[in-house]
Formats: sequence, C-alpha cells, structure tokens
Amino acid sequence: MGIINRGTIHLTVFALIVLTFPFWFEYTGGYAGLDTKIIIWAIFALGFDLLLITGYLSFGHAAFFGISAYATGLMLLHYSSNIIEAMIVGVVVSTIAAVIIGFLTLRRTGIYFSVLTLAFGEMFHTAAVSIFSGLTGGENGLTGLPTPTLFGEKMQGSNVFYLCAIFLIIGFYLARRITRSPFGLMLKSLKSNQTRLEYIGINVQFYKNSAFVLSSIYAAVAGSLMVIYEPYVATEFLEWKTSGTLVIMSVMGGVGTLFGPMIGAAFMLYFENVASVFLEEQWLLALGIMFMAIVVYLPGGFVDGYKRMMRHWVKKNQA
Amino acid sequence: MSKKHDKSKGLTRRDVLKISAASAVAASTPMFFVKDAWAQKAIGNFPVNGPTVTYGFNVPLTSIYADEGEDELRAYKLAVKHLNNGGGMVETLQPNALKRNGVLGKKVEYVVGDTQTNPDAARTSARRMIERDKVIMFSGGSSSAIAIAQQYLAQELGVIFMCGLTHSNDTTGKDKRRYGFRHFFNAYMTGKALAPILSKEYGKDRRAFHLTADYTWGHTQYQSMKDFTEKEGWTTVDNIMTPVKTTDFSQFLTPILNSDADVLILNHYGKNMNNSLTNAVEFGFKEMQKNGKNMEIVVPLYSRLMAKGAGQKNIEGVLGTTAWNWTQKDDDPGSKAFVETFEKEYGFPPSQAAQTCYVQTIIYSDAVERAGTFYPPAVIKALEGHEFAGTGPGKTLYRAEDHQCFKDMLVVKGKSPSQLKGKYDLLEIVSKVKREDTVYPVDTFPGELGPYEPA
Amino acid sequence: MVNQIFLQIVTGLQLGAIYVLIALGLTLIFGTLGVVNFTHGALFMLGAFSAVIISGNYGFVAAIIIVPPFLFFFGVLMERFIVRFFYDRPHTDQILVTFGFAIVIQETLKWIFGSNNIPFKMPAWGRGILKLHEYVPFLDGFVAYPKWRFILITVSFFTVIALFALLQFTRFGMVIRAGMNDSEILSFLGINITRRFTLVFGLGSMIAGLAGVFAGPVTNVDPGLGMFYLVPSFLVVVIGGMGSLPGAVLASFLLGMAQSFTVSFAGLQAIVVYIVAVVVLLFMPRGLLGKKGVLD
Repeated sequence: MGIINRGTIHLTVFALIVLTFPFWFEYTGGYAGLDTKIIIWAIFALGFDLLLITGYLSFGHAAFFGISAYATGLMLLHYSSNIIEAMIVGVVVSTIAAVIIGFLTLRRTGIYFSVLTLAFGEMFHTAAVSIFSGLTGGENGLTGLPTPTLFGEKMQGSNVFYLCAIFLIIGFYLARRITRSPFGLMLKSLKSNQTRLEYIGINVQFYKNSAFVLSSIYAAVAGSLMVIYEPYVATEFLEWKTSGTLVIMSVMGGVGTLFGPMIGAAFMLYFENVASVFLEEQWLLALGIMFMAIVVYLPGGFVDGYKRMMRHWVKKNQA
Repeated sequence: MSKKHDKSKGLTRRDVLKISAASAVAASTPMFFVKDAWAQKAIGNFPVNGPTVTYGFNVPLTSIYADEGEDELRAYKLAVKHLNNGGGMVETLQPNALKRNGVLGKKVEYVVGDTQTNPDAARTSARRMIERDKVIMFSGGSSSAIAIAQQYLAQELGVIFMCGLTHSNDTTGKDKRRYGFRHFFNAYMTGKALAPILSKEYGKDRRAFHLTADYTWGHTQYQSMKDFTEKEGWTTVDNIMTPVKTTDFSQFLTPILNSDADVLILNHYGKNMNNSLTNAVEFGFKEMQKNGKNMEIVVPLYSRLMAKGAGQKNIEGVLGTTAWNWTQKDDDPGSKAFVETFEKEYGFPPSQAAQTCYVQTIIYSDAVERAGTFYPPAVIKALEGHEFAGTGPGKTLYRAEDHQCFKDMLVVKGKSPSQLKGKYDLLEIVSKVKREDTVYPVDTFPGELGPYEPA
Repeated sequence: MVNQIFLQIVTGLQLGAIYVLIALGLTLIFGTLGVVNFTHGALFMLGAFSAVIISGNYGFVAAIIIVPPFLFFFGVLMERFIVRFFYDRPHTDQILVTFGFAIVIQETLKWIFGSNNIPFKMPAWGRGILKLHEYVPFLDGFVAYPKWRFILITVSFFTVIALFALLQFTRFGMVIRAGMNDSEILSFLGINITRRFTLVFGLGSMIAGLAGVFAGPVTNVDPGLGMFYLVPSFLVVVIGGMGSLPGAVLASFLLGMAQSFTVSFAGLQAIVVYIVAVVVLLFMPRGLLGKKGVLD
C-alpha cells in the first residue's frame, strides 16, 4: 500500500483539524479557552471508548479523572510548578486506583458493573470532601495553585492548547493502533460472546482489566491536563455527574467509533457554552431530550447518523 | 508562538487571529495597542476599545442559591441602567465621581453567566466572560467557595472581581486576593455583633450545640460564633460538621436531644438552613425545656429570601444577622433611592444580596472614574482605603490591607405570622450594629493579597 | 447511655425507612424486569413534588390518595412507551435511556417550579413529638422524638408487609416470582408476562411515589432530590443483593444504623455507607442475600 494509506490520511487530517482548531473555532461562535477544554474532554471521551467497545458501561470514570486532577494539583501546590512531575504522579496514582477498582468491579458484568463503578466513584468524591478535606480543600476545591510551567515556560493560553492537542493526536494514534490490533479485536469480541471466549481458554479477565486500565489512563491524562489548563481542582471532577456527562457525550457521538465520543464531547461543550445563550437554563432539558432520542432512534450516535445519511445519498445518486 | 502575546495572558490566539484576519476590527486594534502601550501595559482586558465597556455578572441562576442569584441579577441590571442614565445611588453616593453617561464616557453593557452554585461551573462561566466577552470587571455569587474560586481566577487573569454575597472569613482572610473585593460582611463580624445580643436575650450561662455546613464558610462561621459566645460566658457543648448536600438532618439532631445543650446554633445557609431548621422544629427544639430554660435556635446568617424558604412559622423568634434589609429605606438616602428605584422597576423590594451587588457595581465604576482609567492596578488603588457614604446607613470603608468593607449591619429576628405587614416584611430589626463595633485588626486572619500586576 | 443508644437506634430505623421505601421499587423492577432504573430517583422526586403541590392545595390526605396512583399511572406509561422497547436491547441501553429520562424529568420540574426549595408542611396530625419515656420502661428522664419519624417507620413497615403478601399469596405474585426466575417458561405456558411486567413497573413507581409523599416533609422538595437519593438507593440494592426484596430491607436498615451510629465522627459519617458497601461486596460479591440469577 505504500506510505500513504488510509490510516495515514485519516491521522493527518485529524491532526490538521485539531491543530488549526483555534483559528476557525471563533467563526463558529466559540472562543479561546473553550477549544482547550474541548480537546481535554475529547481525550477523556476517546479513552472511555476503549472501554465501551468491550460492552462495559462505567458510571465511575470521573474517579480517575478526578484523582489524577487532585494529584496533579497537589504536586503543583506543594512540590513544583513544573508539569512533568505533576502529570506523571497524577497519571500513576490514578492508574493504581484503576487497577484496584478494575479488579474489584470487573468480576461482575453488565448492569452490576455499572452500578458498582457508580458506587466506587461516589465513594472517592465523598471521601475527598469529607475525610480528605484537609488535603483536598473540601467543598472549596483545591485553590491557590501556581501557574504551571514547562521548562520555565508558563503554561497558559496557546501553550496549554498545543500541549493538549499533542496529547490528543498521540492518544488518537494509539487508540487507532490498539483497536485495529488483535488485542483490540479481542476487546470488541468481549461485548458479544464472553462465555465462548472463556470456553476456548482465553483469559477474559486480563483483557477486561487491560481495557479498563487503558481507558483510565486516558482519563488520568485528561484530568491532569484540566488542572494545567485551569490551575484549580473542583470537587465536581470526582462527582458522578462528570461520569454521567462522559457517558452522554460518548453515546451521542457514537460508541465504539473513536471519532464519535470526541465529536460528542465537542458537541456537548459547544452546546453548553454557545447554545445556552439562547436556550438559557433550558439547555439541559434540550440536551436530555436529544440524548433520549438518540438512544431510542439512533443507537449509533452522530457517527451512525452520518453514515446512514451518506448511504442514503449514495443510493439516491446511483438511482 | 509569539512571546509578546503570551505575556498579555489568556487572549493570545484571539489577538493573533485578529491581526491575521485583517478585518476592519483587526485593522484598528494594533493602533490602540500602540497608543496605550507606552502608557500602561495590557492587563486582563485592559485596554478597553470601542465606545462601550462590558461588565460580567456571574450569578447562580440554577441550583440551590438561584433565588438569590435572580435578585442579584435584577440589582446589576438596575445598576447598569443608573450608571448610563443616572438615578438610584448614582445620585446619593458621597464622594461621587460618576457622570451618568456610562463610565469614562463609555456606555456600560453587561453579560450574564450562570454559576450553577458550583465553583467549577462558575470559573468556566467567568472565563467565558473574560475571554469571549472581554469583560473589564466581573461580579456575583452566593457562596464563599465560589467567590474564592473566582478570586483566584481574577488574580490569575488580571480582571477585577467584585464579590457578591460571600460571608466566609477566608474571602478576605486566608484567601484574600488583590483582584477581589468584598462589600458584604463576614462571619467574624456576625459573631462579634450577635454574641452580646444573644447573651442579653438568653442569659450568660448557656450551653450551645452547633451544626455546621462542612465548607469554608461554615468552618469560619462556627469558629467565630464559638469564640464570641464563649467570651460572653457560654459553653460550647459540641459541633457536628454536616455534609453540604444533606437534605435530612435528623441523624445530626439526635445527639442534641441527648446532650445537655440548651441552644442550637445552625451554621447553615440557603437550602441547608431551610432543611435543618425545618427538621429542628420537627424535633420539637422550639418548645423544649433544657436545664430549666427554654431551648433556643440561632441562625447566625440570615436573609429574607431564606426566611421565606424556611417558612414563617419556623423562623419566628429566631435570631441572626443580616447585612441590610429593605425596611431601612427610611433610614438613609442611599437605601431609599435604591429601594424605590428597585421597587419601581420590579414591583417588590430588593434582598440584601441585591443591595451588595448593586453597591459593588456602583463603587467599582466610581473608582474607575476617580482613577481616570480602567487600568486594573490604578482602579484597585482607587478602591483601597476608600471611604464613602450614601450606599446604606453610615459610612463604608474599603480597608486597603484585606479588601474588606466595614459598615453598619443588623441583628434581626424572624417575625411571627401575626406581626407581618405584607409579603416581604419577614424580619424584625433587633439592633442596628455600628461599624465601629465590628471592626477587627487586619492581622486577625493570615493571607496575602498578592501583586497588583498578575504574574 | 441507654437513652442515647435507644435514640440512635430509632434514628437508624427511620433513616432506613426512607431508604426502604425508595429501594423497594428499584429492586422489584430490577428483579422482575432486569431493568436498572436510573429514573427511580426522579420518580421519587416526582412523587414529592406532586405531594407538596396537592397537599398545599387540598390537604395531606388528598396527597396520600392521589399521588401513589398518579405515580402508578406514570410508571405504566413509562414502561409502555419507553422501557418496553429496551427489553431486547443490551442492558446498558436500558441504563442509558432511563438515565436520559431522569434528566428530562429533573429539568422539566426545574423549569416549571424553579430550583428553589419548596417547604413541605407536615399535616397537623403528624407534627409534634412523642414522649417516649412514657411508653418505654427502661428510659429515664425526658426522651422525645418527632412523631413523623414513627409514621415514616410505620408506613415503610406496612409497605414491606403488603408487598411481600402480594408476591407470596396472590396469583399475580406467583407469576411475578416465577417470571423473576425464568420468564421464557411462562410465555411457553401462555401467560401474558408483558402485561404483568407493565404492572410491576407501575407498582415500583407507585412505591416511589409513596416514598415521596412521606419523605417529602423531612427533606423539603427541590429538583436535586432525585439524583441525591439515587446513589444511596443503588447502594442499598447492591448491598442487599440486586433483585432481592428482603436484601433491600436488610441493607436499608444496615445503612441507616451505620449512619446513625457514626454521627459523631464527621468524616467517617459521610463515607460510612461506601465503606459498608465495599466490605460487603468484597466478601459477598452478590450482596447480602443475592442469588445467582439469570441476569448475572
């Protein structure tokens, strides 16, 4: 196929869109700052998709986002404003938590798993505002962080945007590689026939846990970047509302498509920040209705909708 | 990436874009930059270009403090109207530099954000105002956690934040910021003003049990109430920190039933206070006898809107403090002008939150006029140590060292249903506390204001 | 000391009573239909909102009479027009659609009534305190507790009894219990399980409505109420064993007691329910009384 195959083209186009984002975003009603937030949420949602392809719906992914955010914040506050150590600590701490929680919750399937992750997530949230409030700043969130730096350069404005953008592009490349590898195929087949896989002697537990930990690493990177983007840790990062938002984004965009959840993330933040201007407080109601409609009529989300439209269009042109 | 732009914080890409886009606006922008560049350096959204200036009002329109948020917004809109056309306190402020034609000749416009009573949402919304709408100042809030989160943001981005309703000592104590200013009173002042009256009404040998909302405001409120009531000879039996999201307080009230406490102090605000007071009344604390005395309930921070949410029967006879009440309209020209214009505009009287937000907007604008520029460090210096009158009873001082205002305040009591004169007359003023009686030394609380120019 | 322990037990009981009322419908719907109903908290809230409105206008008794049937009807419609289409879809889709519907209910209520607290006045006959030392011999001195909390415990007690009787002694109940074990066999036998499923869903939301009526006066009413009680009621169901009614009752009181007895330890009190959940699930992954079922 040579160097220029479909994958390379996809990746290049994707990278171009992401890197030029700030330059055209304003003409669509967005503003500087929101673009960075969209990129961060896109990383979060992209990683979540790696778990969703296995058919496991987590309602507790805010835990990994939040734990990493707190760890990053505490590092910036007490150790140094340099982001490298802060990010590494954030991601490592969060990944350890993911290994433990994954081990405990993945013994159950489907709905049990969803409810268990919800419970674990809320446990971390409640702990952060109660027993650990001395460390986390309780309901105030973690305030007073210094401006994060990288090699002496202040991480503000465009610096943060491009930092996040690079993480997203690398993240997308890796996610693509993973889903197209034999390992990824195994993850996908977990969704349909787990029992059969067990019969043929495959260590299902290993694959499930790997997907869970992988997706939480993405969540941890996103959580860490969130604190670098805005040097403040909100208790909300750990709350199950954040997990719920992530679920809504992913489903609206299209589960299992990698692109979908990212589009969902962009759509939702855009909708919240821009459409709320004319929908006022009812934007959440509108979002809820839209979400339900998608679950009922378009389970494949926006990506599926786009594909259906294309097919329809092609058919019409052929006729 | 251009280094020059990075120094001006936050708006880098927009600026690059404007220059490269070569639109009409973009063509004029560099001119302004050059003009002001040698005078004062760009900080936050300074310099202000064009014939208008934008203020940002970031208030809780949804979630638990929405009632107050809506009233704050009414006050802000009124303040903008008065700044542009005259009226209200623009006429009564002393000394007064306002010209009734906007601020520095620029018409005042505003944008509104919803904090959702949530620090993260508040920061997002504030950031949007600063980065998209280019506000030169933002204001609002009904929770100290939110106010503090926004103060830090203000300092980071170099845009002045005029706090709305925030009562925690930390706002102008541990977490004080150069770019944040508080007109509202605080927990320390509440304790200092309320304790003597409590001991006068209920006696000197009381035993108090506290329930406290588990966040910055609750903690400082508890500490201040404890210190000042103990100075009066009271004993503090115990305190329980209650999670902010609690809706049913029964489990926290049970230990009080069992203790020998004869006063229950609810360091709760908003919905927390509505529910804890409802539950306390349900538990019979208002009719109970302890140690041969009548059990009493105290709610240190009070508001008329909260009294409404708790139900008139429940708040009857309960003592607390409030910054200002609309019934003071007969006391001074500033209150009169504000209440009358507010009632004319909306058909009902303003809340204490509305008063504080209104004054904050007026006083910021006055400081800009006095400084002759929107340049934030100059405006901050104009606000620091400024003393003014005509915005409520007595004189108000913005203390330079911690950005806390000192002014008269009220000790109030819930009226009984039979005493009410109209729908909005819920509070009886027990005592008008003078400014001198609540002043405290600046080193009472730790904390640093930080630099005039954001790092 | 005796007084204190006694009062703490009463507090645990009444906290548990609210959990029971909310969790009962949740676990019933799960056990029978295999649906994790994320809307359940919102149904409870809808019950509380309707109750506060009706009791404000027509008195509390009217609320008791009107609200549960209204919620029953609401549940039936919800099953008929939303949930039914999801029996054949993956379980996670059921979670999604009920989650979405919960948001829609919450935001609609917020739109109509605003986000402020609506005070819920107790009826005159429920106000005041019971002087327990007059009834309980081993208490000394003056020991009182609000009357309403005992009404709550009573209501929840009779609801549990009524539900068990319904499932144990009626033909409807037998079919439901059989359906909980294996619905395919029933359809082979020509029993219309679908219609009964609809009724079960109605029943579940009716109990949530009842919970709204009786818990409303102690929590007051606002649009955050549903989501607030959703997580604890899931915990109850998980700890008790999903789909197990006796398990839900047991877990409710376990959590109520845990919260009541840790009240003097502020941090611990907040997370004690999660600690209980983690400990139980570590040693009994199916919950206290969970059985290995088809939905596993």
